[in-house]
Amino acid sequence: MFKQNNFYSSAFAKLQSINYPLLGLIITLFFVGLAALYSISNGDFSSWPLKHSQRFIFGLIIFFLVIFFDLRLIFGYAYVIFFLSIISLVIIPFFGIESNGATRWINIAGISLQPSEFVKYTLILALAKYFHSINNDSSFIKTLIIPLIITMVPVSLVITQPDLGTALIILLGGISLFWISGLNYKYFIVGVFSILCSLPVLWQYLKEYQKDRVLTFFNPERDPLGNGYHIMQSKIALGSGGIFGKGYMEGTQSHLNFLPEMQTDFIFTMLGEEFGFIGTLLLLLMYAALITISIRLALKSRSLFSKYLSLGVCNVFFIYVFVNIGMVTGLLPVVGVPLPFISYGGSSMLAVMFGFGLLMNCYINRNIIIEKTNY
Amino acid sequence: MKKSGKFIFQKYDTENLINRRAALVTIAKAGVFSVLVGRLAYLQIAENSNYKKLSDNNRITHRFLEPERGIIFDLQGRPIAINKQKYEIIIIKEETRDLEKSLINLKSLLPHANIDIEKILKEVNSRKKFIPVEIIDDLTWEDFSKINVNIHKLEGIYPQIGFKRYYTQGESHSHLIGYVSPIGKNEEETNPLSKLSTAKAGKIGVEKAKDAILRGKLGNKNIEVNASGREIRELDRVNSVQGNYIQLTIDSELQKFCYERLKGLSGSVSVINVKNGEFYALASSPSYDPNIFSKSISNETWENLLSDKYKPLINKSISNQYPPGSTIKPFVALAALESGVSHKETFFCDGKHLIEDTSLESGYKTFHCWKKEGHGNVDMTKAIKVSCDVYFYQIARRIGINKIAEVCKRYGLGEKVFKSLYEEKSGVVPNKQWKLENVGSRWMVGETLSAGIGQGYFLTTAAQLSLALAQLINNGMKLSPKLIYDNETSNAYNERIIADPRYLKIIKNALDEATNAPGGTSYRSRIIGNYKMAGKTGTSQVRAISIKEREEGLIKNKDLPWEKRDHGLFIGYGPTTDPKYAVSVIVEHGGSGSGSAAPIASDIFKYLFEKKLNLKRNEIFNV
Repeated sequence: MFKQNNFYSSAFAKLQSINYPLLGLIITLFFVGLAALYSISNGDFSSWPLKHSQRFIFGLIIFFLVIFFDLRLIFGYAYVIFFLSIISLVIIPFFGIESNGATRWINIAGISLQPSEFVKYTLILALAKYFHSINNDSSFIKTLIIPLIITMVPVSLVITQPDLGTALIILLGGISLFWISGLNYKYFIVGVFSILCSLPVLWQYLKEYQKDRVLTFFNPERDPLGNGYHIMQSKIALGSGGIFGKGYMEGTQSHLNFLPEMQTDFIFTMLGEEFGFIGTLLLLLMYAALITISIRLALKSRSLFSKYLSLGVCNVFFIYVFVNIGMVTGLLPVVGVPLPFISYGGSSMLAVMFGFGLLMNCYINRNIIIEKTNY
Repeated sequence: MKKSGKFIFQKYDTENLINRRAALVTIAKAGVFSVLVGRLAYLQIAENSNYKKLSDNNRITHRFLEPERGIIFDLQGRPIAINKQKYEIIIIKEETRDLEKSLINLKSLLPHANIDIEKILKEVNSRKKFIPVEIIDDLTWEDFSKINVNIHKLEGIYPQIGFKRYYTQGESHSHLIGYVSPIGKNEEETNPLSKLSTAKAGKIGVEKAKDAILRGKLGNKNIEVNASGREIRELDRVNSVQGNYIQLTIDSELQKFCYERLKGLSGSVSVINVKNGEFYALASSPSYDPNIFSKSISNETWENLLSDKYKPLINKSISNQYPPGSTIKPFVALAALESGVSHKETFFCDGKHLIEDTSLESGYKTFHCWKKEGHGNVDMTKAIKVSCDVYFYQIARRIGINKIAEVCKRYGLGEKVFKSLYEEKSGVVPNKQWKLENVGSRWMVGETLSAGIGQGYFLTTAAQLSLALAQLINNGMKLSPKLIYDNETSNAYNERIIADPRYLKIIKNALDEATNAPGGTSYRSRIIGNYKMAGKTGTSQVRAISIKEREEGLIKNKDLPWEKRDHGLFIGYGPTTDPKYAVSVIVEHGGSGSGSAAPIASDIFKYLFEKKLNLKRNEIFNV
């Protein structure tokens, strides 16, 4: 009885201590996505917009579930959660669904999920626990080699799907934690240098279509009807939007189907065409605000684990936004990365809500001190 | 304590490090966001006008609209060449990503439509990529709707409603009207319609001569299209302008009658109004169905038409030249009268005429009359009536070739009648200078004799002969030959007198006798009744008769192969009391003029007298 009371009061306290500006921004971004999808489906709410809403509600449930878990419990099971997500990646080649020559999906109880989306956050979880637990005077192997192995396991699994884009984001998210945890910057210089040197070798291992994408990125006119077509049409759509845009549901590039993958990877372009520079600037400001708030919340935590976890989630989120917008504006090669909260896509929506659930949990439990464990 | 102190210190140190590192990351993030904002500003503000253009190019496509071709009417206002709706299929290379795939899909939809993908690919690739190319030009409604239903599989392929030319009178008018077919590569520069592959141009006859009038003006429209090139909506449009109509002087019923009368023969008929130069019929036989050209015709059909020995593609009233034979005699007689020869002067015909020729063993060359036993004493009237060759040998020799040529040219022989018909031939009226220039040798006396009876170098067309006769029997008024009514020349025929009416009366009288007096060459074809016809027969040789054949007796025409037989000619006018029409009839290899051509002329005059004594233009309003 007493325990129950305790639970309710603690649950209530948790709800009270949520950072509402952050949640408000998330909900706002969801509505932006909803409006975009409503335009793309030509005013038909029952198709993409409806499903997007259902997914967001499901995402909110996950968000609150994560909040209500004790942070120490999450810390304790961090490796288990990471291990489970790795298992889901491993079983993909056996139970996965193939589409467009890549196997990225598994079907769980009738719902298709993309495990690689979740791995981005579970890796952060695992690394946060690991870096929390090592000492500053730990050996070279402990501070660098072991976390590098932890990182490379999901990265290499995702590369084989093959999904180079997601693998790079997982890698970057992991590396960002290496940096946050205070790894000597000399390692980074050596790392960047050795990656540059090994690029010609890595090139050999790329699939034809991946090579194509990279080549087309450097010269979009190389293949104006293939890969370059997407980049060109996306730039035309954004550019023709001008300062004020063509008006809601008036985008010719998107509504006449010149834009590829409008509802997913190129949804930012569609918004840019219809709402112009004002619209894209506002959207970027919203993301910037979300990231800024996240960093501020992260730094309020007393435990290293919470800081690492929150900053890691924030970094992954940032990478998402940057890669997607960089891609549709022609700054980066076309890799299939959705725009968080806005793109149509179940796994990315649930994963990002899971990530922000972790971040919010850290914030709510910012005063909890977590003891070091023997990793 | 020491341990704990180290811990605190380290904790503090680590926290500081994290904050520093996080701050650096935040700065980096801010930098990246600035780059994104800069990039968006560049795309959306700096480059906006460029991308706006590209976006408009993407969504807006220009299409030309085919104009309807002008209608061709006959004298009475009956439509002869009209346009019918047809369902056609075009492809635009620019608007398809995989040309061949679209064509394969089309072929699988219409397996029976005989689509030659190779040929179409060749055609499409030889044109500019934005020019629509016709794939199928006349589709049934069922197939047309089938295409429309499956349009999403056919990128770059468009079903549309177009026009096809239809000739209501069929083969009886085909040489004169001509036909249309796709614009050739050599016409692309001059014909603005060549921007549309579906557009046609006149290839021969009136359709070609008046193509610029008939073709009309292209319209165009801007349409919004989606990424696969489908039309979403029309943004603006300039309608095409239908070509102007044309009214011919031809009476289609008379033309049909003439054509029917020629059936089974190879030849032509020309009917002209002697008072104003309007041509009422220009028929040629055999013929072809001009409507086969509205679809692409097979090579086999085309080859057959080309190789037919009766030359169905040739308009024999203007494009085939014949020696006029005895039909030239009225004009030679006129030349003689103008040279001072009295029509009462007689010459003796014993069947032949000799001239000195030192190159021959006998020392002279013999020119035969068509009547071996001769005509005896012959004056001008009798000479024309019985077509005595010896009479004309002698007067030709007396007045000389240049005088004969001068008169013939004055009457329009050796000159194109209709300047605008590309396929028309001009004929030849020879004289001394002509021979020097064209043959390269001096004129011989014997050639004057041949010319006197319309043989030798003389070449004329049926249209020329009818025009020349018309001017001879209308008391010498110069006519402007007319086939098409246009504002510039309407009712403005020339009344310039080109011959002394007294001379013409003598010749007219002789022609009357030739038909209506016993013994005349066309007496058998005379018309009994109020209205009479009169005229001159002609038989022109197409082979040289050897001395041996002459001695053994002439081979009869019916015993010769068709190509070796004489052409039968007749020129006539009527009614004799107040001439209205002149007719020329040429029957290729028909034997004698009196046997083959005169009866046809007689039937045509009967038709004219009975039904259409007063052919008059029925003006067309409101087309």
